[in-house]
Amino acid sequence: MNYLIIGASSGLGRELSYTFAKNKNNLIVCSRDERDLEALKSDIENKHKVEVKTLALNLTSEESIQNNLLIDQELFKTIDGILFPIGLMFEDDKVGLELEKINSLYQANFSSVAFIISKYLSNKDEGIIVGFGSVSGYLGRKFNPYYSAAKSALNSYFESLGFESKKKNIKIQFYILGYLETNLSFGKKLIMPKGSVKKLSEIVYKNKNKKFKKYFFPFWWSFIVFAIKVIPFSIILKMNKFLK
Amino acid sequence: MIENYSNRKSLKSFDGSYSSDVILKRPEKYREIEKFSKYSQHLITMGSNYSYAPLSFHQESLVLDLEKFNRVLNFNEKKKEITIEAGMKIFEFLNFTLNYNLWIPQLPGYPYISLGGAAATNAHGKSCETHGTIRKSIKKILLYHKINGWLNLSNEENKEIFDLTIGGLGLTGTIVSITFNLTEYDFAEFLTIKKKVFSIEDSIKNLETKNDQSEFIYSWNTTDDIKNFGKGYIFKNIPKKNTKQISKIANIKNNNFKIPVCLWNKFTIKIINKIYFKFLDLQKKETTENFLNVIFPFIGKENYFKLFGSRGFIESQLLVSSLVLNDFLEEIKNLCKIYEPLITLFSFKLMSGEQTLLRFEGDRICLTFDFVNNKKNHIFLEKIDQLCIKYNILPSISKDSRISLKTFDKCYKEAEIFREKLIKFDKNRVYQSELSKRLKI
Repeated sequence: MNYLIIGASSGLGRELSYTFAKNKNNLIVCSRDERDLEALKSDIENKHKVEVKTLALNLTSEESIQNNLLIDQELFKTIDGILFPIGLMFEDDKVGLELEKINSLYQANFSSVAFIISKYLSNKDEGIIVGFGSVSGYLGRKFNPYYSAAKSALNSYFESLGFESKKKNIKIQFYILGYLETNLSFGKKLIMPKGSVKKLSEIVYKNKNKKFKKYFFPFWWSFIVFAIKVIPFSIILKMNKFLK
Repeated sequence: MIENYSNRKSLKSFDGSYSSDVILKRPEKYREIEKFSKYSQHLITMGSNYSYAPLSFHQESLVLDLEKFNRVLNFNEKKKEITIEAGMKIFEFLNFTLNYNLWIPQLPGYPYISLGGAAATNAHGKSCETHGTIRKSIKKILLYHKINGWLNLSNEENKEIFDLTIGGLGLTGTIVSITFNLTEYDFAEFLTIKKKVFSIEDSIKNLETKNDQSEFIYSWNTTDDIKNFGKGYIFKNIPKKNTKQISKIANIKNNNFKIPVCLWNKFTIKIINKIYFKFLDLQKKETTENFLNVIFPFIGKENYFKLFGSRGFIESQLLVSSLVLNDFLEEIKNLCKIYEPLITLFSFKLMSGEQTLLRFEGDRICLTFDFVNNKKNHIFLEKIDQLCIKYNILPSISKDSRISLKTFDKCYKEAEIFREKLIKFDKNRVYQSELSKRLKI
């Protein structure tokens, strides 16, 4: 089987690449920096004896997507599944962010993903699509508002894809992620424990053939999200100091 | 500038002598090495922080932790050559190369040490007389320096910086990847022969009776009984040719179990030495040991270090010329009578190589002592420092975190050459650690 992993060079994407390679799948790994991709390719090929292709891709640029990913019209036909373990964040993501950065956040976290999926679905009647959202997409917050909004859009988009999966033999999974043991959370004191990316990547691999499924990881976030949905927003605003 | 960034962490040197809060960044991408290096005027790189002395941090320093740089970048089985990222741990490296019956023989005794760290300290293993230090297996290095940029280092390219970097304690920049020349091996076990010795003289005589170049020879000696000073055992590890597959080395996470007080004292040292001696007496003279037990003697013995409590310990490793060894040891014996230091470990092995710059190597005898970290032992060790100067003995600066500037300057003949070359390469002296500050490197 051949999988396209977009955002493969670090964190969850890197771990997913190893998990899929360990299970003898060939990969096309995408990320911005060629150096990271070459290191990943070499390591995986040496350790797991599968074929790995690299694609330097900038999801904040439509031109990069067109020229590097979509230029090969046959590419999607050879791919059995696409995974999107990506998330772009800015330290200064606060209300009032400049337009260029807002657009970058939207493109990387939502619109480019949706665009690539559209192209994939127009070429395929079967396949696997795995997306990764964030619990931050369920609630407006003091910080990362644009990131959260983009993840919220992604969540809604994947729910819509669920209807598409009924029409075609497309398998869709969407993971709503809490804190993970990645560089984004490294060294930070967080209110909840971090989930293991290794464990998550194994769950993703195991569930890849499910028709349509939404998962929370770590699972306890499902209870928190449920509570957030049930509690009126006016009360949540009053609980302001806990909203980290 | 670094105050703006989170990721504060408290780090401690392995010997427990020094701790400090640092800003710890863990790059996972190549551009993050460049980006994080800009966060502060001074920084230093950390492998796995198993250095006895504080080589990979100082107070409030910016530390780049290379743990995520642990990939195989290139492997050529025919040419017996491998390029790996410097954050790769020895166990990860061996788990890969041993599949091809290849390795590097200059491995330090603990498999969770990073290869970048091993290169920066010019590490050696049990077979250091036969195989020398890790320098002998290093072909190329990729270095990142925040001002000088990305540099390829080898004997053909940037040779001067290549020489400064191996054993340069991370002061030339971040070692990002290393190309090693690999060596074939055809053994998975060792025949270990042990022999009782009754004095230091007896130990030295037996150390010099090595028959075969492939043998590893070392000793375990006691110092708690002045009358029988140096009584102990000599061990010979002889590789046994066979085709057995060496089992994979697991990634064991060290437990956080800590003992607040030091359990080593005159009484416990005597008791433990007696028990261990009895244990060795009862064992067969010849035993077969597996590869991992011989190459990594510290696996499973981590609690030995915890017994020193929160104040930690001091390890003194000395390279002594055979010409002065007897005189030096006689003086040590006399000092032991006066100061009664608490020594938990005393061992000999042979070493080979050429001592230049900051490198701990040479055609000499390597003595290792572990001391309880207390006032009395510090006074004793100051006397040893004086003997080092008197007898032209080389103390290891990466093991002993108390070595002073004076001792360093007197014992390391090329200390000033290293300083001059380093400042020529990096006039801002970007990469700094507690050790570099203490020794004014």
